[in-house]
Amino acid sequence: MFVDQRAEAYEFNCFNPASSGGPAGNEAGGAADETCSSPYLARIEGQEEFVYVWTLGVEGLGDGADKLVSVDVKPGSPTYGKVVSSVSVEGRNEAHHAGFTDDRRQLWCAGLENSRVFIFDVHTDPSKPKLTKTIDNFAETTGGAVGPHGAYALPGRVLIPCLSNAKDKGGRTALVEYSNDGNYIMTHWLPTKDDARGAAGAQFADGYGYDARVLPRKNALLTSSFTGWNNYTMDFGKMTSDPEAMKHFGQTMVMWDFHTRQPKKVFQVPGAPLEIRWAWGDQHNYAFTATALGSKLWLVYADDHGDWQAKDVAPIGEVKGGVLPVDISLSADDKTLFVDCFGDGKCRVFDVSDPQHPKQIYEKQIGKQVNMVSQSWDGKRLYFTSSLLARWDKKGADNEQFLRAYGWDGKELKPTFDLDFTALKLGRAHHMLFGSTKLGPNRTTIASR
Amino acid sequence: MLRILFLILSSACLSSAADFARDSDYDYDPPLPGSYTLPVVKLAADGTLLDTDNKAVNLRDLTHGRITLLSFIYTRCAAPKACPYATGVLGQLHDFSAKDVALAKNMRLVSISFDPEYDTPQHLAAYSENVREAKSGCEWRFVTAKSRASLEPILAGYNQAVDKRPNPSDPQGPLYHVLRVFLIDRAGRIRNIYSSGTLDPRLVLADVKTLLLEESKISKQ
Repeated sequence: MFVDQRAEAYEFNCFNPASSGGPAGNEAGGAADETCSSPYLARIEGQEEFVYVWTLGVEGLGDGADKLVSVDVKPGSPTYGKVVSSVSVEGRNEAHHAGFTDDRRQLWCAGLENSRVFIFDVHTDPSKPKLTKTIDNFAETTGGAVGPHGAYALPGRVLIPCLSNAKDKGGRTALVEYSNDGNYIMTHWLPTKDDARGAAGAQFADGYGYDARVLPRKNALLTSSFTGWNNYTMDFGKMTSDPEAMKHFGQTMVMWDFHTRQPKKVFQVPGAPLEIRWAWGDQHNYAFTATALGSKLWLVYADDHGDWQAKDVAPIGEVKGGVLPVDISLSADDKTLFVDCFGDGKCRVFDVSDPQHPKQIYEKQIGKQVNMVSQSWDGKRLYFTSSLLARWDKKGADNEQFLRAYGWDGKELKPTFDLDFTALKLGRAHHMLFGSTKLGPNRTTIASR
Repeated sequence: MLRILFLILSSACLSSAADFARDSDYDYDPPLPGSYTLPVVKLAADGTLLDTDNKAVNLRDLTHGRITLLSFIYTRCAAPKACPYATGVLGQLHDFSAKDVALAKNMRLVSISFDPEYDTPQHLAAYSENVREAKSGCEWRFVTAKSRASLEPILAGYNQAVDKRPNPSDPQGPLYHVLRVFLIDRAGRIRNIYSSGTLDPRLVLADVKTLLLEESKISKQ
């Protein structure tokens, strides 16, 4: 475990934005990372060096398999903006989201369709991830949870929010924990009306899941909800024309006691609330989400009494039928929210300085379709990918598949490089994560004692 | 038995209120011991170490028989929010145990150095005298390794990442590492893993008392 290969400190203790002298998290020294990372995750020092893209294989394109693609984003590098490694896994698994262990030594990449989880070593050589383990008995091990949606770093373990269940492949699902060495720990089913486990708002509980994120200093775990296997493996056009299928989307978010993993309150948030982004400021007790079907921004916040509440705070795109907002990215200073809209391929940017009253300030056409957005900690670089789900992506010429990088100067997005994942015979570009050889402490906020 | 349960529960409530106050870093009320469960993460790894008397000790003997909080540290760590913080929390728990008979009898603290070249048994002995304020209280053992080679499998067993810094004179100390403290039950099973952001002494105490209550329920059955 004693290895001398790093250029910078790799210290996993804790980080206090308030003591940095800058806005929340913009500490001196220029530490960087994705703004949506787990606070328990070792952060990147300096600028990200690699963007890992968990990519869905496409039949007849290249080897047709899902793969982890590594792109060099080091400024001045001769291979800047180029693919420097691609590691294929077995078959097509509906590659979706991924996440690091807290020590950032492993990257866990999940497949939604057959519930396989692929674990890569990204420590030995961050430019060339290596597949080291595959979890292929997920449903059996977890007591019937399926559709692992990603992996969220917790101390010594990962939290895997799921989308479905093996019994009826509907939306009832669970949170699953594994240790960093890949051993199953426990399954926590989302609350339902019949099994609310003491949570307030039990009458709304639908048992659906999607994202799961923690605000450590409030001991708060927040989850959101999407849809089950039956829907996310169905052709998009067929599903949207099926009234019965459209009934099976999540309408809730749940606040949990993080330490005890007990659900405390169920919020009614109609229209499939997806990504959760907690604010970073040490007095900012709120999180944003966007509802995919409702085309609205929602705020989950602590009110004047410290009680958690949820309310919709802004429409996203005044377009009839909605714009299908998907991924969102909150700047490290909690002032700017980037909202990707799959429906029209635009990124809409909101001023969220007043979180109760977001205002759209900018929009940019990213492509024919756009799904994920990852933002550097300094807010200067944003990366976009195109794929939502294999059967939900657009068809024909609208099915662009890319990784596109932009610079953000506070006013507009300016392109820096563009990788065509179809021309490169890679596949459908989905989740992005930042890699580096230079790591530092995590971002849990404990003042020096 | 009911009286023991009452004592554990009431002392937990008192400890939260009086000794470890809620603050802006841990801005929540801790859970009531026994109101939740702690799943088994995995078995605690074994290995051979050296105690402060330079005697060989099996790590297994330090992870069985009591509810153990095991912390990986190195004494040259100068990052205030890393090893000094972890040892500070263990010190708080040790002080508290001096006033709590059940904890004094049933809890053990273990600080393992991953810097055997510097943290010799003699050095750890002096270090332990400095950080252990209460003369009574629960058992608190300080151990180091004979060599890095003997330490490696232990670090691997606990997934404790440690690397050398490129600059050995770094003001933060010569090593960088994951901050890890493990909660281990009397049977040697890891039941929780703390890092920065979760190493709240109120949560740790609630967890220890939850394990004590779990034992009481099992013995009652």
